Amino acid sequence: MNRAMALRWLSIFCFFALWWLGARLSTPEILPGPLAIGKTILGNFAAPGPEDRSAWFHVGITLARICFTFAVAMALGIGFGLAMGLRRKLELAFGYWIPLALTIPTLLAVFLCVLWFGYSEAGGLFAVIMTVTPFVAVNMLAGAKALDKELIDMAHAFKANRRLLVRKVILWQLMPYIFSAFRYAFGMTWKIVALAETFGLKYGIGYMFSFWFEQFNMAQVMAWIALFVAIMLLLEHGVIARLEEKVFAWRPVHAH
Amino acid sequence: MASQAVVIEGLSKKFPAPGGLGEFAVIDALSLQIARGSFASIVGPSGCGKSTLLNIIAGIEPHDSGEVRIAAQDEANTQARIGYVFQSPRLLNWLTVEDNIKFALEAQNIRRADWDERVRKYLDMVGLAGQERNFPLKLSGGMQQRVAIARAFAIEPDILLMDEPFSHLDEITARKMRIDLMRILERARPTILFVTHSLREAVFLSEEVYMMSVKPARIFKHLRVEIPRPREPEDPRLFDLEKDLVKEFFAVLEQAYR
Repeated sequence: MNRAMALRWLSIFCFFALWWLGARLSTPEILPGPLAIGKTILGNFAAPGPEDRSAWFHVGITLARICFTFAVAMALGIGFGLAMGLRRKLELAFGYWIPLALTIPTLLAVFLCVLWFGYSEAGGLFAVIMTVTPFVAVNMLAGAKALDKELIDMAHAFKANRRLLVRKVILWQLMPYIFSAFRYAFGMTWKIVALAETFGLKYGIGYMFSFWFEQFNMAQVMAWIALFVAIMLLLEHGVIARLEEKVFAWRPVHAH
Repeated sequence: MASQAVVIEGLSKKFPAPGGLGEFAVIDALSLQIARGSFASIVGPSGCGKSTLLNIIAGIEPHDSGEVRIAAQDEANTQARIGYVFQSPRLLNWLTVEDNIKFALEAQNIRRADWDERVRKYLDMVGLAGQERNFPLKLSGGMQQRVAIARAFAIEPDILLMDEPFSHLDEITARKMRIDLMRILERARPTILFVTHSLREAVFLSEEVYMMSVKPARIFKHLRVEIPRPREPEDPRLFDLEKDLVKEFFAVLEQAYR
């Protein structure tokens, strides 16, 4: 193990040590220790909680909501962004909509959707899609603008058909933009889904924050937060980062 | 008469004038013919429209009037194959060296069964055997340009366009590449239209030299370089020829710029 790795592990260890120390100096009502939180999380998975639903159910619901809204927002954002980036008229027509959409505070978007749709599934999901899509679109717009005309000319000179051009020339150039949109949008999606669950949606991890918050149960609130953070860290650093490494193997920075 | 690989007749191309008022002719009533299998160079100062001419021949830029005809060697193939080596390599950096060549083969609808053989043959020809799986960004600028040359040769073009392919390289590398190009031509003989601003490069490489003046681009002299190949870069006959041509060039350019 190299030094950098050792430092990283040391840093993680210090975090838990400080948490543990803090818990020792305070009371379980204010700051429960890491062990207590771990036990609470395991307990939530093992036995059904409120309304006879176990943690599996809530985690599943939250992940399904994230996946669905994320996929829709990415698809819409990539579509709109590329259309605008490649068609000057569309950019002129809709370019100003993006900053408008980006400026609406996320929290307000959630409340707005609650007013529009009531406390319904559709409202929550709509709020997420509405806030994430413009971020993706703005990234893809930049990507489309940065396409290398020389490479496209090269492909035309060799008489590449449209399919080959998109597959081997354009898509790869958009990859960095797709990934940065992917990362950013994913981060936004899970935060807003948690927010929407806390304020409006029934079931899910966010719903459990607010449920236990109303019971003033500190251990449970923290347990659900810790669980949420752990899952999202795993997805972002385990799954997305790995994927990125694969896709960008051609870049010298990633050379081994 | 040797069959012509490329015939250009009365080609004209206008660009909008800087400042947005009117148009000016970059290329005006240009005609030229290149015999099959010959190496022809167009020499002209920067900005005289040489690259524009190649882009028009390659079909990636439109022209206003005139005609460009490229004869396909293969009777079954109605569309002529055009290879293009640009100033910069223009490789797809996310594809391996091998896949960059296959990109051109796929674009040209060349039978998939032939791909591996073509990649092997032409990479070997440019001296890059063994680099198939490497990514372009791990190669030097000179090696990247060799890949671009292999890519253009690999489609076995009816006409190979080369747009100052060595001008982005340092002089020592460029010199080596010119000599290597001569060697390659002993093995594969596509018709080549080579564009350069260097008379020395043109007389060393070519059998035919077209000299181009500016504003608008016009061929004012056509000559054959009769010195047999292989040539030595230091051949005094090449120097003499270059000297004479430079004189002629200045006489014409002075008039053009007056």
